[in-house]
This record gives sequence, structure tokens and C-alpha cells, in this order.
Amino acid sequence: MQKDLESKFLQDFEQNQNIVHKICRIYTTNKDAHNDLFQEVVIQLWKNYSKFRGDSKFSTWMYRVALNTAISLYRKSTRTITTQDIDDFSYKIQSIEYDDTEELQLKALYKAIRQLNDIDKALIFLYLEDKPYKEISETLGITEVNARVKMNRAKDKLKNILNP
Amino acid sequence: MDLETYKKSWGNQQLENTSVDIYKMSRSKSSSIVKWIFIIGVLELIFWTSLNFMVPQKYLEFYKDFKVMELIKVSTYVHYVVILVFLVLFYKNYNSISITDNTRRLMNRILSVRKTVKYYVYYNLGGIVLSNAVLIFILLGQPKDLIKAMNADGLNMEANEVITIFIVTSVLMVLVMLTIIWLFYRFTYGRLLKKLNKNYKELDNLENLN
Repeated sequence: MQKDLESKFLQDFEQNQNIVHKICRIYTTNKDAHNDLFQEVVIQLWKNYSKFRGDSKFSTWMYRVALNTAISLYRKSTRTITTQDIDDFSYKIQSIEYDDTEELQLKALYKAIRQLNDIDKALIFLYLEDKPYKEISETLGITEVNARVKMNRAKDKLKNILNP
Repeated sequence: MDLETYKKSWGNQQLENTSVDIYKMSRSKSSSIVKWIFIIGVLELIFWTSLNFMVPQKYLEFYKDFKVMELIKVSTYVHYVVILVFLVLFYKNYNSISITDNTRRLMNRILSVRKTVKYYVYYNLGGIVLSNAVLIFILLGQPKDLIKAMNADGLNMEANEVITIFIVTSVLMVLVMLTIIWLFYRFTYGRLLKKLNKNYKELDNLENLN
């Protein structure tokens, strides 16, 4: 039984791990912290996986757990030594014709998002992931109206950083 | 440039899959805030509860002559009941933390665990101040016995002097405790919860907009 659960978890995680990577990238600024947060999210996901009933999609559930970990549970490990800036990571673009404009855009976008506060980061992330307001408000625990108000402000802040 | 253009690039990104062992990773120890809040909370509960048992019997004998033993006994029983209530509350609040809740509720519950411990410490401090105040009041009502008890060695001291020493010592004791607690909180909860408090306020302000 436990073995089944494990393999199911690993399979689900494998298919959706990009979500966690993206969240780690916007909430941390170096590789060590990225890995640290990634590990904490994995721990939380597995710890709670048995309670995942499949009422929602695994990815929806994963968004919630990963964002909650980044916003509320994660604390920078004191052992983390800043060695490598996250910008040294390669951003791969999935495109038939390789175009480095998109790559540069993505780099600028990540850099800009990191300057936002934790809540705005979550809002912008969910917007970029194309989540409906209903899901955004349910994930954060605020009303849909507030989610819209706050989203507009966050978008304005982001635009200002991107186009000063 | 339009945000939609950036959104398109976002959608096209492909992140390399991690090569780390997820299986191994999922079984490692969490270093989350909740875990630390729990550990520190338990240590605090143990510390303050054990303080009560560390009062030497000799100290209580000092009060024998003042006919307050009944009062001390009753307040001790009440105190045990209160400790039990706090322990139950602490456990209940800790147990209700769920990472799968929405962000707002999750933060709210983490902060409730911290608040339970905070109120427990306030309760203990309040208890110390109150019991000292009551005892001082009672003792002052029997100044002759007080001087006899305080000045057992028969030193040549004025009644006022002995009473002043008694009050100053009590006040100093509470002040020292308050300073230690304040410093302790700054370095533990202050650091641990700075981010959480900030984020909670951010979400809370948002909710007050309506």
C-alpha cells in the first residue's frame, strides 16, 4: 500500500515538478536557497500526499502547498552560503525556432518578480500560470474582488519595474 | 512592453528536471518555521511549568508564620488547571495547522500557536507579579513577623529598611525576568516570524479594502 502511494507520488511529482522549480526561482536568489526551498516543498508535498483526495487536480493542490511553503513555512537556512547567483542558471526556451529575445525577456521577468513582495509574487505567478481568479482567491484565502484589486496593483508594480 | 508578451515567454520556458533523488529528499527532515515554533513553544511550556516545581520548600516555609499557606495551596491547584488548559490549546492549535489550507488560514493558524505560548508566558509573568504583590501586601500587614523572618540573624536593621529591601528585590526579580524574555523573543520569534507577520499583514490589509 505504502509502496503504491510512493510510486504514485513520484509519478505525479515528476509530471508537475516544473511548478516547484518556478516557485523556487521567484522566491530565492541563489542556487543553495533554491535547492533548500525545493527540498522543503518536496517534504511538505510527501508529508501531506496521503491526505490528497483527488478532489482537485494534483497540480492545483501542488500550487497551494508549494506557494504556502514559500510564503509561510520557509525560512532561509543559516548555513546557506551565497555562491552562485540565480541568473547564472540557463533559461531554456521550448521553441522550434530558437530566439534569444524570449530568453532575455524571461530573464528580465524573473529579475523583476523577485523585487516584489511575497504576496505579489504569488499573485503574479498565478497570473503567469494562467489561473482563473476563483482559483487564485481560493489559494490565497482572499475574496475574488480583492484578488482582482491586488492583482492590478501587482501588475502595475511589475510593469513599472520592467519598463522604468 | 506588454505583460502579455512576457507571459508568452513564461509559458514557453522549459526548466530542466532535477537530477536529485526525490524519494530520498521527501524523507529528509523539515526545517520549516512551524517545526521551530513547535520546538520553541514546547521548550517554553516546559521551562515555565518547571519553574513552579523549582521553588524550594524552604522558600515556602518562610511564609508559614504569615498564615498564607492555604492561599498558596489553592492558587497552586488553580495554576495546574490553567497549565492543562494551555497545553490542550497549544496542542489543538498546532494540530490544526495544515499546509493544504489556503495561505491566509495557514498563516493565521501558525500565528495562533505562537499566540498561545505568548499568552502562557504573559499568564506566568502576571501570576508572578500578582502573587508577589499579594504576598507583599499581606506581609506588610504583619511588619513585626516580617522583620523577624527577614532578619533572622538578628542584625541591627530598621523595619523600613527591611521592607524596602523586600520590595526592591521583588521588583528587580520581575524586571530581570522581563528583560530576559524580551531578549529571548527578539532573537527567536522576532527572527522566525518577521516574514510571516509581514506577509500576513499584506494579505490582511487587502481583506480590509472591502
